[in-house]
Amino acid sequence: MKRALFALAPFAFAAFACGSPQATTNVAPPTSAAPSASAPTPSASADSFGPRPEPPTPAAFKPPAPVVYTATNGVTVWLVERHGLPIVSIAIAVPSGAANDPPGKGGLARITAQMLDEGAGARSAIDVSRDVDALGATLATTSDADTSTASLTVLKRNLQKGFAILGDVVARPRFEPKEWKRVHDLWQNSLKARASDPDATARVVFRAAVFGADHPYAHPWDGTSASAKAVTLDDVKSFHASAWRPERATIVVAGDVTKEELAPLLDASFSSWKPAAKSAALPIVTPPAPKGPWPRVVLVDRPEAPQSVIAVVRPGVAASDPDAPALDRVNGALGGSFTSRINQDLREEHGWSYGASSRISFSRGTGMIVAYAGVYTDKTGDALAALLKDIDELAKKGLTQDEVDKTRAQARGELVEAYESVQSVVSRLATAAALGLGPDYEARASVARDQATAADLNKLAAKYFDPKDAIVVVVGPRAQVEPAIAAAGLPKPELRDADGAPVK
Amino acid sequence: MVENARRRASLQSGAGIARGRGRLSGVKRLLFSLALLLAPSSALAQPLSIPFTKSKLPNGLTVILHEDHTVPVAVVNVTYEVGSRFEAPGRSGFAHLFEHLMFMGTARAPTKMFDGWMEGAGGWNNAWTSEDRTDYFDVAPSTALPLLLWLEADRMKELGPLMTQKKLDAQRDVVKNERRQRSENTPYGVADLRLPEMLYPESHPYHHPVIGSHRDLEAATVDDVKQFFATYYDPANASLVVAGDFDPKVVGSSIERLFGQIPSKGKPQDPGAPSFDDTKTTLTSVVRDTIEDRVELSRVFMAWQSPKRFAPGDAELDLLAAVLGDGKASRLYKALVYEQKLAQSVEVSQNQGTLGSQFTVVVTARPGVAQDKIEAAIDAELDRVRTGGVKDEELSRAKNMVDAAFVTRMQSVRERASILNAYEAAVGDPGFVEKDRASYAQATAKGVTEYAKKTLLPKARVVLWIVPKKGGAK
Repeated sequence: MKRALFALAPFAFAAFACGSPQATTNVAPPTSAAPSASAPTPSASADSFGPRPEPPTPAAFKPPAPVVYTATNGVTVWLVERHGLPIVSIAIAVPSGAANDPPGKGGLARITAQMLDEGAGARSAIDVSRDVDALGATLATTSDADTSTASLTVLKRNLQKGFAILGDVVARPRFEPKEWKRVHDLWQNSLKARASDPDATARVVFRAAVFGADHPYAHPWDGTSASAKAVTLDDVKSFHASAWRPERATIVVAGDVTKEELAPLLDASFSSWKPAAKSAALPIVTPPAPKGPWPRVVLVDRPEAPQSVIAVVRPGVAASDPDAPALDRVNGALGGSFTSRINQDLREEHGWSYGASSRISFSRGTGMIVAYAGVYTDKTGDALAALLKDIDELAKKGLTQDEVDKTRAQARGELVEAYESVQSVVSRLATAAALGLGPDYEARASVARDQATAADLNKLAAKYFDPKDAIVVVVGPRAQVEPAIAAAGLPKPELRDADGAPVK
Repeated sequence: MVENARRRASLQSGAGIARGRGRLSGVKRLLFSLALLLAPSSALAQPLSIPFTKSKLPNGLTVILHEDHTVPVAVVNVTYEVGSRFEAPGRSGFAHLFEHLMFMGTARAPTKMFDGWMEGAGGWNNAWTSEDRTDYFDVAPSTALPLLLWLEADRMKELGPLMTQKKLDAQRDVVKNERRQRSENTPYGVADLRLPEMLYPESHPYHHPVIGSHRDLEAATVDDVKQFFATYYDPANASLVVAGDFDPKVVGSSIERLFGQIPSKGKPQDPGAPSFDDTKTTLTSVVRDTIEDRVELSRVFMAWQSPKRFAPGDAELDLLAAVLGDGKASRLYKALVYEQKLAQSVEVSQNQGTLGSQFTVVVTARPGVAQDKIEAAIDAELDRVRTGGVKDEELSRAKNMVDAAFVTRMQSVRERASILNAYEAAVGDPGFVEKDRASYAQATAKGVTEYAKKTLLPKARVVLWIVPKKGGAK
C-alpha cells in the first residue's frame, strides 16, 4: 500500500510488476478467513512450538517533521536531520513536469532534466560525471507528471564538493549543441527500444487511453518517437528558464547535517541561482479529471508473446484529495502486497501469473488506479475476467475486517521502513513539496491513513474501484487474445500502437 | 541522461532470482559486490562494522544476532546453503522451485497463512535463489518478531514431509510464469538462459540457469521435494540472522526453544566442482551465438570465467568493471557511447560466485551499427587496459563509488541482516566486512591490470548477440 511510487519517486523507479517498492496488504480475503480459523493446529498444550504468537498492534509511527526555513536567495529549505551514518541526501524540486510539455513536444520536461548534468558550470558532461563518481556520490535528474527534481546523495565529508556540482547542474547547465545532439539521439533510440518492452508499452498505452488525446497527463513522461523528434535544444533552454527557478523551488535535505552546517553550504552553492530574467515562470497546471468514455478495451498486438500484460485502469484521485491517504489502504487490499486479493487469485490460486499488483498514482490532478499482471497467454481471458471480478467485489462489498486491520498495520510498517533511508525521506518530501502539499503532509497523511475505519474504507472502495469506469489494456498476441477478450464478454478492443496511438 | 546502469543495478546473469513481487528490486548481483567496498583508506572516521554475536545450536544451526534499536523493526534472514549448482541432472530449476514451495504451508501454518499472518502483523517477506544459496527474509514491526521466528522454525522443521502434489503444481505454474515473464517476454531476457550454457561445460554446476527449463520443472515430483528438504533444509546447513529492535536474551532463548528442537542429520556435502579450477578458464576459443528476439536494438554479451568470490583478483576485477563501465568517464562508456557514438549503453560487472565468477561486458548497439564494429571498439578498449593499464585516478574513483554504496546500504536493518548472512555463507564469518573492504582498499592499478590481462582473454570468451527478429521487432 505504499503509495504508488510510479508517479512519485525520483529515486525509486518503478519497474512495474515485480520491482518496486510495494506494500503489502492482505490477507484473508473472505475465502481464506475460514481455513485460518479452522486450521488443524495441534492443541496448544501438546505442541512443542507453543501457540502461535499473536503480535500486539504495532504503534503508530509519526514521520519526523522537516525544519523549514528560507535560504538567503529566497529558496525554501526543508531539513530532516538524521545522524546515524555519515551520509546526506538532497533534492531540488520544482513544480513542473510532463503536464507542462507543450503540445507535440511530449518528453520536454524529462529531457530538460536529463540535460542538466550534460555539462554545467565549469564542467563538461564527462567532468560532471567523473567528479560525481570521484566523490562516491550519486546524482539523478529527472521529472514525472507534475514535478522535476535534481538530487544528490553524498558522504558527509564530501558535502561541499557535492553541493557545488548540484548547484551548477541546477543553475548553470551548459546546454551545448554537441551534447544535445548525442542526448537527443540516445533518447530517440531508447524510445524505439521501449516499444519492444511489454511492461513499458502497457504503461504508455493505458495512460494514453485513460486520459485521452491532448490531456496533459496523456503522454508518456519520456515522450514518443514523434514528439522526441520535434523537441529542439531551444525548447530545452526555454523550459529550463521557465521551470527551474529558485522562487518556485524547494530544497529538501535529509541526513547527517545540522541547519547551522547546512546554511552556509547552500548559500555557497545556490545563492547565485536567480530567476531567468527574460522568461516568465510556467503556470502550475492542475489537469482536469479524465472523462471517459468507459468501459473500453484497448489492445496492443505483440505476436507470439508467451505472456500477455493485462491492466485495468481507471481514474483515481489527486494527491491533495482528502480521500487519497486512506485510499492507499483500499488499494493495499486489492493489489498492494503479496497477500492482496488479485495476487492471491491470479498467482496463488490459479498459477496464471508470476504476480499481480495495483497502484495509485500520486499526482497534482486526478491520477490513475492501475491493477496489473503479466499472465500466461493461454489464460489471458480467464485472468482478465478474474481481475475484473476481484475489483468489482471490492467495490461492492468492501474490505473484510482482516483486511481493514492488515492494511492499517502495513501502512505503519511501511512508513517506518520508508524513513530508514535518507534517499527515501528526501524523495517523499521533495514530491510533497513540489505538489504543494506542505511540510506537515506526511504526518497528516499518516494519521488519516491510520485512522480510517472500515466504513471509511468501504466508502472509498465503492467510490473509486467500480470497474465500469475502467479501461482494460492488453499487450499480447492479437490472434489469441482477441477471441479471449470476446469470450470474457468484453467490448471489442481498439487497437493501439506501442506509442499509444490508434492503429487505423 | 541515459546514464549507463550502475553496477548495482545490473545484470541478471549469475544472479539470484526472487520469489517475486517483493519490495526489493533486483537482489541480483549485489550481495557482495555492493556490500563490500571500501574507501581507499582515507575515508570514514568511524568504521562501518555491524555489531553481532554468533553461536551454534547443538543441531548445527548457526545463529547470528545484530541488536539495533534505531527503528522499531525486526528482520529475520535465513540462508540455506543450497542453490542451482546442487541440482540433480534433469532437475534444473529445482532449488528455486523449492524456494517457492517453502511458502506452501504446514500443519501449524496452513497454506497461505505464512504470508497471511505475517502481513496481518504489518510485516512482509521475500526470498531468492542463486547458483550457490537460497535466502529467505522477513521484515516486520519489532513486536511481531516472535511470530516471525515461530513461522521460520515451523517450516524448517515440518515443511518437507507435508508436501503435496497440489502445492507443487501450484508453484510450478507460478515459476513457469516467472520464467516467461523474466526471460521469455522481457527484451534480452533470453541471455540469462543462454549465457551459462555457453560459458561453462556441461559437467560444470554453473552450466544451467537458475530458473531451469520448462521440461525439468515439469519433471519435478513430490518425492524430489521431500528428498531435497531432508537433505538440504537441515538446520546444520542453515544460518539464521535476527537483526534490529529486540532483546537478545529473550530472543536467544526463544531461538533455542523453537529451532533447537529441529533434528539434524548433519550438514550435507557440498558437491563443489572437483575437476574445475576458477583460476583457469575451461574456454579454449571464442564461443559464439546469435539469438533473434523481440528487440529493437542489438546487444552483445561478452563473458569470461573469472576468479571466485574473495579469491585473489576478485576485488580487482570488480573495480575494473567500474573503471570500464560506471559513469560517463568510464573507459567503455566514454569510447563507445560518448565519443564514437556506436553504442546506446554499457554495463560491466564481475558477478561473484562460490565456484567461480563471471566477468561480463554488455553493450547495446545504436541502430544500424554493425556488430563487428562494436566488437572491435570493445576489443580496442580492453586492449588498452591490458597493455597500458589503468590509472590511479580511475581506480580511486572506482573505490570511492564502492565505498559510498556500502555506506548507503548500511542504512537499512534488512540490508544489514542480508550482509551478515552473505558473509557467513561465503566465508563462515559474518564480520568479514573489514577484510573484504581491505581487499578493495589494497587493490593497486598494477594488480587490476594484471588481472585484466589474465582474465579478459581475447581468444577464450563467450560472445552472445541478441538481435532483432528478421522482418521487424514485433
